[in-house]
Amino acid sequence: MSSTMTPSQAAVGTDTSRCLVELRNINKAFGGVQAVDDVSLNLYPGEVVAVLGHNGAGKSTLMKMLAGAYPIDSGDVVISGEKVSVRTPSDAQALGIESIYQTLALADNLDSVANLFLGRELLTSWRTLDDHRMDAEARKVFHRLNKNFTNVRIPVRRLSGGQRQVVAISRAIYFNARILIMDEPTAALGPEETAMVGNLIQQLKAEGVGIFLISHDMHDVFALSDRVAVMKNGRMVGTYNTKDVTEDEVLGMIISGKKPDGKAQAPRHPTTTA
Amino acid sequence: MSSILQSVKRAQVDWRMVLMSGVLVVVALIFNILSDGIFMSPENLYNIAQQTAVVGILATVMVLVIVTRHIDLSVGSVMGFVGVLIAYLMYSENWSWQAASATGLAASVIVYAYQGALVSFLGVPAFVVTLGGLMSFRGAAYIVADGKTQPIADPFFLKLGGGFNGGIGTTASWTIGAILCVGLMLSMLSKRRAKKAYGVPTNSLFVDGLLVLLPMLIVVAFVSVMNSYQILNKPEAQGIPIPVLIWGAVAMFMSFLVHRTRFGRYIFAMGGNPDAAALVGIPVRRVTMLLFLLLSVLTTIAAIVAISRLNAGTNSLGNNAELLVIAATVIGGTALAGGSGTIIGSVLGALIMQCIDSGMLLLDVSIGTRYVVIGQVLIAAVVFDVAYRKWTGDVL
Repeated sequence: MSSTMTPSQAAVGTDTSRCLVELRNINKAFGGVQAVDDVSLNLYPGEVVAVLGHNGAGKSTLMKMLAGAYPIDSGDVVISGEKVSVRTPSDAQALGIESIYQTLALADNLDSVANLFLGRELLTSWRTLDDHRMDAEARKVFHRLNKNFTNVRIPVRRLSGGQRQVVAISRAIYFNARILIMDEPTAALGPEETAMVGNLIQQLKAEGVGIFLISHDMHDVFALSDRVAVMKNGRMVGTYNTKDVTEDEVLGMIISGKKPDGKAQAPRHPTTTA
Repeated sequence: MSSILQSVKRAQVDWRMVLMSGVLVVVALIFNILSDGIFMSPENLYNIAQQTAVVGILATVMVLVIVTRHIDLSVGSVMGFVGVLIAYLMYSENWSWQAASATGLAASVIVYAYQGALVSFLGVPAFVVTLGGLMSFRGAAYIVADGKTQPIADPFFLKLGGGFNGGIGTTASWTIGAILCVGLMLSMLSKRRAKKAYGVPTNSLFVDGLLVLLPMLIVVAFVSVMNSYQILNKPEAQGIPIPVLIWGAVAMFMSFLVHRTRFGRYIFAMGGNPDAAALVGIPVRRVTMLLFLLLSVLTTIAAIVAISRLNAGTNSLGNNAELLVIAATVIGGTALAGGSGTIIGSVLGALIMQCIDSGMLLLDVSIGTRYVVIGQVLIAAVVFDVAYRKWTGDVL
């Protein structure tokens, strides 16, 4: 990556060039409702940023814009120092952005293999679906996540919650995500599967993947995240190092939008720190 | 023996199709007994096969329309409009059948591009768009030739509808049968080889053998029945009727689309979960638009077969066809909730419906009773569908 970088980009400063994602002054309105109001947020390689807030705080909307599911009204998305336009989910995928949605975004009537490759099917030289290659590749990924998951050719509606989650997560792993958005990844899971997701996040962090984690589970947030970013009514309340704040302070920000006293926000958006 | 039973249980077999084939056979046998053997005579089977072709062709594409949670109520009217247009251009304007058919196709493409754009880009429900189309294009069919019947005289064109000169003869029929059998075997062999190469579990040899032999048997039986129907004073037997050949080719092409292409995969994904389809980056609008264009092509083909069968284009051509097509599709196991349906199911559905209708006709059952029965068969099929899904746990 660094070999393709132009001198002007490198001159911006180590902080910015290292930055994986910068969301700058993002706005989004649905009708008259300002869902996301001038929000800036960044993400570094190998970092987990927990995005928190009430239902309707705008966190999912912000993440869906990064994933290309909603168009952005105004504001910039900068990936690895380069301004990009993310207008469709395919744009986001091409930039290495993968999403795991709360609803899992699975076609229930198709099997696990078809779901893993949905929208990005492997083709033969005749431009037809290469079913057997997809089958073999999928079994490898699923096996890595859950060794007992072998009934991969039945419709996913007949799978357990954990197996469905494996399929959704496999998409992110198979296509080598650089940036991963996880929306409530453990909401529907049992303890064993929650631990699996936790391990996976640690593993991906070590590989340098940047992760936005949307979660309501404070235990997960404090166990997994490096920073917390709290939103309320479409605005960013503040971004803190997870180790600098307590659970009560985070809950205070989520509920009342009150910033904790005497705590430094860190690290702020590079262009606003100057 | 028990190991064979085990392998049958574990095999990926579509039991619904097996059951429907069984229903078709039982229906045929019952009518055969009631009609003292007339129902299963080569002549009657030949007629049923070619009578089903028009509805059958349209049912293959209606499967995909319903799978994506849309519906096309205008299909009969558009077929009538396009059919009359082609017949009018040939009879009243003296165009060649090629030029007339191409113009008919162009008209059909415009009609469906218009309806498809309303559905995919403006998000108007297909039910409303095509309900309007049902009325408008029936009117258009009337306007084209001012309500006058347009006879067809072109000898080549008449063959497309089957009938007296519409069989391809015995030699050609056996050739096609042989090609199909070889194709069935080769495709199963290559499937097994590919599965082994990638280490994917295969069915046992016994099951896969059965899955090839049974279709081959059906092909051979079909060809031999068609080849044993000889019209009085004709030197050669009929062989496969051309409309059935067209229907078969269409069904094979549609199956290919469904199983082997991205387009087919996306159709089913959109029907299973429209939100997920959009979130993973499927170009939903483009796929919907393509589906409507596919509809336009198949409606034109069906229109050509229909006017050739009728020897004329009339403004009532395809009246109620949309209902028969949707009924065949639903009897064939396509769920109106979307996301589920098969091409081969639509073929069986169309055949079951036509067999029941023809069988009753043969037994001199009045038209009123026939409609009553067909309607209840439709309901029975859906009741069975619901029960079957509950039983297998495939609740939509």
